[in-house]
Amino acid sequence: MIDIVLLTLIFLGSAFILVAAIGLIRFNDLYSRMHATTKATSFGLLLLIIGVSLFFNTGTVWLKAFMVVVFIYLTAPLAAHSVAKSDKTKKL
Amino acid sequence: MGHQFCNIILTFSFAMLLVAFALAFIRIVKGPTARDRIVALDLVASITMGFILVYSVVINNAIYFDIVIVISLISFIGTVATSTYLKQK
Repeated sequence: MIDIVLLTLIFLGSAFILVAAIGLIRFNDLYSRMHATTKATSFGLLLLIIGVSLFFNTGTVWLKAFMVVVFIYLTAPLAAHSVAKSDKTKKL
Repeated sequence: MGHQFCNIILTFSFAMLLVAFALAFIRIVKGPTARDRIVALDLVASITMGFILVYSVVINNAIYFDIVIVISLISFIGTVATSTYLKQK
């Protein structure tokens, strides 16, 4: 039973990352591209990490997964904000 | 049946991540500005994290989780450094 949940989470995570890549290649503006990649990639990686942690299911792996998820959700908006600000105030 | 189904789903996940990698690489090659390439490289780092996560399930080895931590740290530093350089140039 847990295998079904795990495989569904891994499949959905990969599908969200694929959707992010399709958005990156199809949109025609820098801000639209960042809108596609930042959010969809964060959510896809969250699903993938929860699936892999359910597969191993030990305390160390859950702790590392929590660290990675907190770090991704802290830094992905910061990176997108930094890129957008460098585009807003560009001189070259 | 269970093992066969598991292999099919994991192979399909690898295939989707590989297609995503190819699309991001196309954006890196033909991106109009440098910022598009930075965004695409950030996505490539995330796709690599996904690859390593699925691969750690395939070979059943939990030590590969450390690589994901390191890649998440490095990719953020690289993105912020490159965009700050472009801002101050």
